[in-house]
Amino acid sequence: MGTATGIIKALNSGIKHLALKRFTLRYPEEKLKFVGDGYQFDPTTGVGIAGLKGRHMLFHDHCTGCQLCSIACEGVAEAIGMVKVPNEWKQNKKSIMPQIDYGKCVFCGLCVDACPFYALYMTNDYELSSFSKEGLIYTPAQLQVKPFVAQDSEIQISARGATHG
Amino acid sequence: MSTPILPPGLAIQKADERIMTLNVGPQHPGSGHMRIIVQIDGDYIVACDPDPGYVHRGEEKMAEYRNYVLNVPHLERPVIHDSCNVLYPYVLGVEELLGLEVTERAKYIRVIAAELNRCVYTMYWLAIYGIFLGHSTMFMWPAGDRELLIDLLEKMTGARVTHSYFIPGGIRNDLPANFEDVCLRQVNYFEKRIKEYADVFYENPILISRTEKTGVLTRENAIRLGTTGSVLRASGVDYDVRKKEPYDVYDELDFETNVMKSGDSYARSRIPWLDMMESCRIIRDALQKMPKSGSVRVKLKPNPKGGFDSVYKRVESGRGALGCYIVSDKKPEPYRVKLSVPSFRNLIALPHLLIGEKLGNMPSTYWSLNYWPVEADR
Ligand code: SF4
Ligand code: SF4
Repeated sequence: MGTATGIIKALNSGIKHLALKRFTLRYPEEKLKFVGDGYQFDPTTGVGIAGLKGRHMLFHDHCTGCQLCSIACEGVAEAIGMVKVPNEWKQNKKSIMPQIDYGKCVFCGLCVDACPFYALYMTNDYELSSFSKEGLIYTPAQLQVKPFVAQDSEIQISARGATHG
Repeated sequence: MSTPILPPGLAIQKADERIMTLNVGPQHPGSGHMRIIVQIDGDYIVACDPDPGYVHRGEEKMAEYRNYVLNVPHLERPVIHDSCNVLYPYVLGVEELLGLEVTERAKYIRVIAAELNRCVYTMYWLAIYGIFLGHSTMFMWPAGDRELLIDLLEKMTGARVTHSYFIPGGIRNDLPANFEDVCLRQVNYFEKRIKEYADVFYENPILISRTEKTGVLTRENAIRLGTTGSVLRASGVDYDVRKKEPYDVYDELDFETNVMKSGDSYARSRIPWLDMMESCRIIRDALQKMPKSGSVRVKLKPNPKGGFDSVYKRVESGRGALGCYIVSDKKPEPYRVKLSVPSFRNLIALPHLLIGEKLGNMPSTYWSLNYWPVEADR
């Protein structure tokens, strides 16, 4: 193949892209949709449920203060500390629950695997930035809140290329 | 007073009229911190000394203080774009040490995840290779098309790059509903896209004249220096761990290895691209042969212990054969974990390739070795 034909072919291949749709996620306006409500774990079967490993969610009425999540995280990122909670829960004699420092967390989800009482799950919320380091520390009360997520963009494939539609 | 002995490159050298010493890096000779000390005579390189070690993280030592499961998140950090493959030999080794029997479905899903990850890594590598040659289209296209596979991995594992998906005893979670269809659709489109790279990049006469016959590694040298992966296959040695020592279910899948004879930068950059098409083939085949339901993870006791034993396991990563040697001494933590990484072995070839080359060919030759600084330093 001659040099000239090669260069023309290369240009031609680039020009064809003018007809293709743009494959860009315009992030703050559009958000990617994930499967499910976040990564969860079923301790009876020992298998997780697929989902995004985002911010955690703590169910106060299940947490027994057993610290297994904190022990698991000690070997990973030391992000979990156990803190006192003001409310009395009958399953939680010591009234301690995990507090997670997202400045350290690596979102591995091994704490979710460690919790035997269906108390700790992960959610689809990944927008956790904060102006201060303290703002990244989520107390048990903050972890209790179910995040509001408006994620609906999915990859669509058509004859004119892939898009985030 | 005796002069202190300084590391190479820091020592003050006597100025020579012709030879000039250039420090390329450690800030940015490519991706990650790494320095290449080159001596040039005019435009030609007369000596070259790669100097890795700037991003040493102590992964191997860290592994001695964590139990077999908690080692998973940090052992995939050396190459976050290829995190499934970096973890693979460790997981296979621990399974042998603890005597775990992995289910068939988990093995297939692991192969699919590993192949998707290999493509994600190669696309990232290709994007940087493109920008090294000043071909910014080849930066944009792979960086964009990589999103198709990252999306699949995200659906599968819940994370975009550091998946922590493989675990001794199988995988962390089963596939989401409807995954097979989405995977097939996106992998097919991905394959169609990478085939379009031929015209604009791989068969572009400008690229060919830039990279052909530069940095030639002969077959004998490739074997003698112990290179691996795409570098070895580009020099005409048909060696792929997936074929030679099949692990998990690679022996049941249908794929070829790609070999080229010329051993130059062009061949080394073309082999990973051809390998990506084989990966698409493997993924399609595995999706078809995979058992449609079944358990994916063996339940582990808390703090599992092995006996007095050691294992060595190898897998084919995006860069070549990646080995992991684990010694257990009846404790929950491994006694020793040693990673034998392909990046370091490929880097050894660099001084042999660059002597006599023009300085302008240094970036493409360096990056065609499929070298990842963080992995080499561990
Ligand atoms: S996800 Fe991992 S790093 Fe984050 S709190 Fe849980 S165990 Fe720790
Ligand atoms: S979240 Fe789960 S593991 Fe952590 S203290 Fe509560 S019950 Fe225990």
